[in-house]
Amino acid sequence: MFERRLFFHIDYLMIIALGALCAVGVMMIYSTTSIGPNSTLYVKQLYAIAIGVVVFVVCLVIDYRTLAENSLMFYLAVVVLLVGVLLFGTTGGGARRWIPLPFFALQPSEFAKLCVALTLAKFFDESRHGSPSMTDLAVGGVITLVPFLLIAKEPDLGTAITVLTILLGISFLAGMRLRLLGILLILAIVAAPVAWRYALKDYQKSRISTFIDPEIDPRGAGYQQIQARISVGSGGPWGKGFTKGTQGQLRFLPVAWNDFVFSVYGEEQGFVGVVVALGLYLFVIVRALETARLAKDRLGAYLVMGILSAFTFQVMYNITMSAGLAPVKGLTLPLMSSGGSSIVATLAGFGLILNVRMRRFTN
Amino acid sequence: MLGLAPSDLSSVTVSEDRRKLVTRLTVLRYLVIVMFVALAMAFWYFQVVQYEKFREVAENNHQRTLGLRAPRGVMFDRHGKILVENRDSFVISVVREHSRDMDRTIRLLAQVVGLDEASVREVVRRHRGQPGYQPIPIVEDATLAQVAAVTAHRLDTELPEVVVERVPTRRYPTDAMAAHLFGYVGEVTEGQLTREGYRSGDVVGQAGFEKVYNKLLMGVDGARRVVVNSLGREIRTIDEVPPSEGRRVQLTIDYDVQRATEEGFKGFGYAGAAVVLDPRTGELLSYVSLPAYDPNTFAAGIDRATWSALNTDALKPLQDRAIQGRYSPGSTFKMAVAAAALEEGIITPDFTVHCTGSADFYGRLFHCWKLGGHGTMDLRHAIEQSCDVYFYTIGKMVGVDKINKWATALGLGVKSGIDLPNEVTGLVPSTEWKRTKLHENWYPGETISVAIGQGQVSVTPVSMAVYMAALANGGRRVTPHLVKAVDEGNGWKSVATPESAGTAPFKPETMAAIHDGLWMVVNAAGTGGRARMVGYDVSGKTGTAQVISLEGAKALKGRTDLDLRDNGWFVFFAPRDNPEIAGVVFTEHGEHGTNAALISRHILETYFAKKEGRPLPTFKPPPPPAPKPAVVVPTTGAGQ
Repeated sequence: MFERRLFFHIDYLMIIALGALCAVGVMMIYSTTSIGPNSTLYVKQLYAIAIGVVVFVVCLVIDYRTLAENSLMFYLAVVVLLVGVLLFGTTGGGARRWIPLPFFALQPSEFAKLCVALTLAKFFDESRHGSPSMTDLAVGGVITLVPFLLIAKEPDLGTAITVLTILLGISFLAGMRLRLLGILLILAIVAAPVAWRYALKDYQKSRISTFIDPEIDPRGAGYQQIQARISVGSGGPWGKGFTKGTQGQLRFLPVAWNDFVFSVYGEEQGFVGVVVALGLYLFVIVRALETARLAKDRLGAYLVMGILSAFTFQVMYNITMSAGLAPVKGLTLPLMSSGGSSIVATLAGFGLILNVRMRRFTN
Repeated sequence: MLGLAPSDLSSVTVSEDRRKLVTRLTVLRYLVIVMFVALAMAFWYFQVVQYEKFREVAENNHQRTLGLRAPRGVMFDRHGKILVENRDSFVISVVREHSRDMDRTIRLLAQVVGLDEASVREVVRRHRGQPGYQPIPIVEDATLAQVAAVTAHRLDTELPEVVVERVPTRRYPTDAMAAHLFGYVGEVTEGQLTREGYRSGDVVGQAGFEKVYNKLLMGVDGARRVVVNSLGREIRTIDEVPPSEGRRVQLTIDYDVQRATEEGFKGFGYAGAAVVLDPRTGELLSYVSLPAYDPNTFAAGIDRATWSALNTDALKPLQDRAIQGRYSPGSTFKMAVAAAALEEGIITPDFTVHCTGSADFYGRLFHCWKLGGHGTMDLRHAIEQSCDVYFYTIGKMVGVDKINKWATALGLGVKSGIDLPNEVTGLVPSTEWKRTKLHENWYPGETISVAIGQGQVSVTPVSMAVYMAALANGGRRVTPHLVKAVDEGNGWKSVATPESAGTAPFKPETMAAIHDGLWMVVNAAGTGGRARMVGYDVSGKTGTAQVISLEGAKALKGRTDLDLRDNGWFVFFAPRDNPEIAGVVFTEHGEHGTNAALISRHILETYFAKKEGRPLPTFKPPPPPAPKPAVVVPTTGAGQ
């Protein structure tokens, strides 16, 4: 299954970049939790990374085509887990997102992204060549919609929307007509007020309305956004120094080790650090896009694209939010935010991406 | 570059698909790059362009400057005993800036500390003009139970905007001793803020010594810059400028003499005033005005009920009678008339008048207080016996303007210059005064009343003290004052005695004659026998002054709650030769000066006992006198 020559095609540059981002993440988790009750959180993150590396290797070694053959099984398994979350999950921060296991809590929505990417890649690969038909899109839509709704129900709108971007990314690459894309965009715009009226919870609405004008409620929902921008801005060109950030250290930013890890990074490492991190993320994304181009088959290209869509969306959204430029949403920054499931699933995803790149010459 | 296996490529469509895929990937790549560049530019804008602004905001976020109130200067008595000091008290305040929901904060706080919600709201409303970071004191001088309750809740993060501070607060003697002398402190008022350059929230002297010497006593507040977290909890101190305590001040007051004076008044239950000083320098030894208030209630912020009770009290406890009360001096004024007559050369001490109990002046009969008359009196005996007819006679001979001249020279009818606020002036009438103020001519008959200290004459107790000091020291008008020494931080430095307001060139014979008379009042057959102290040659004079004319009293009889009993005076100095203590005891509605004389003796006994190292006396008021025989005292003549 694993031929020795494949070893030479592993994308080591990518691995270095991923490792660097993980290291920065652990550093920032250490810094943001050095005062207070979570001071061992970075150790947990190290464990998660260790597990992630194992999973990464597994995802790298097993031929992605073999995995794709079994995509339906993965898909059904994750749907069952998502239903399980809604039935037995533990609650944190007003949402039911985790399944408690003996040593850790599993967040199935993180893995749902991978399974959806794999399933959609398989589906679009098998569908007729040329632009996907409306039927194809409809079936792809159903495949996406089931986990989307289950995740949205938790509620975790951010992750749910991330799942949608997988469908968007793969169908775009599969040659979906741009006209159709335009129609979808218009539909989204039309649907927004309806969603506002019926689908969004109050806290979600207030997050959006305070994004538009944070001063509506500077001590409430607008608070995080204001504090995030203060953190970043006060970092200046060179930053306040490791563990020297006042905003994150003194808890002006809530959950700084998680959703707002990049704000604290910006505060402590300054614009220079931000440019380095942005560069690393950009490198990873562009490198993965290249992998999609290099892929031996469309299945590989679609799989890379699906995984990358979710990753890119989350990175862009989280960093935009961490500068106070987007409504606050519980979306983690992949590779940097603390969170076991997130790091394991993300590394697994990159395992698959490297898998595709590594096997670009095989039959 | 093309990684697709040839087996998959079976037609042109495949390569077309492939081209499309590559194109779209390229589009995506540029899109991602553009978006990342945009993000980088946004961070550039915040972190480089707007850095200064955000740096400042972040600093304000986590740094607080806490005021450290400076303790006010401690006051000592002339022998180094502490009179007024400071204690730590707790203030519970609210910092509006930290509150997410002020309504809730007020509700919870009121509940926790057990206050009325509306009153808390009112306090907050009163401070709405000040910046949000400045704590608004809600409970001053909080009890330990209140502090405990608040601290407990604050730990629960329920009230992070509530601050408990330890601040130095004035501690005055517990029994309102010398309240009018010390005065009180309070938060600076709006008016004082603009006029005197204080900062809002400052605690400044609002009355008495605290007010006059506020700049000396106030000290300089310090500040502490601290790092706080998002809950407003202190993490560490960045730097601290310690407060510097106000100047320590040594007063001229003698604690024991002061206490003895108050004991005397309280023994009788009298309202009134007393001023005791050293006639050589004007140093005040004791200064009393009663009823008083407890300055401690002001020190930690007075509540409205107590304040309005003080303001509406019929006995006017907030009035400092010693410098703000004007009273008819009665017979104590007679020495001024005697001095005028002697100095103007109109009489000699041996000039005699025959008193038959009344005499006719300008067609009107003026009575002596003694029904049967005193017989033939010279000046010394006239003072001893307080013979009204004698003074009617010499008063008429001297005339009101000469009386005015010499009374003024002795300190009556003018301000004493005491270092306490809002002193008022008494009145010694003159023809010119009547012409300019009342636009009327002086009737010679009025002089007759003035000659025994009635009519228009009014004096403040403090001016009587100056008057007695001048009589004691031979005519020098000392300025009564309270500061003996100040510690500017490098040991006690004596404060120069304020300049005397002038010395009248009294002839020694004048003073000798008056001294003889005053000595006889106490030590011979006079009315001041109760002040007698064997071996100390106490010299003094009683006085009785009507509060209302006898006709008026009759008209009002049974129809008023006002106390219409006469006021009693006793003025004194001791010993007769080289006096070292002089003073005045004024008892409101004390009826006559004999009880005042008793109080004076207690003061003098305490003074001399302390000086000579004997145990201090205790004051025993005499049993209430037997019911007064109904003596009908004729019209104007009063004053024994």
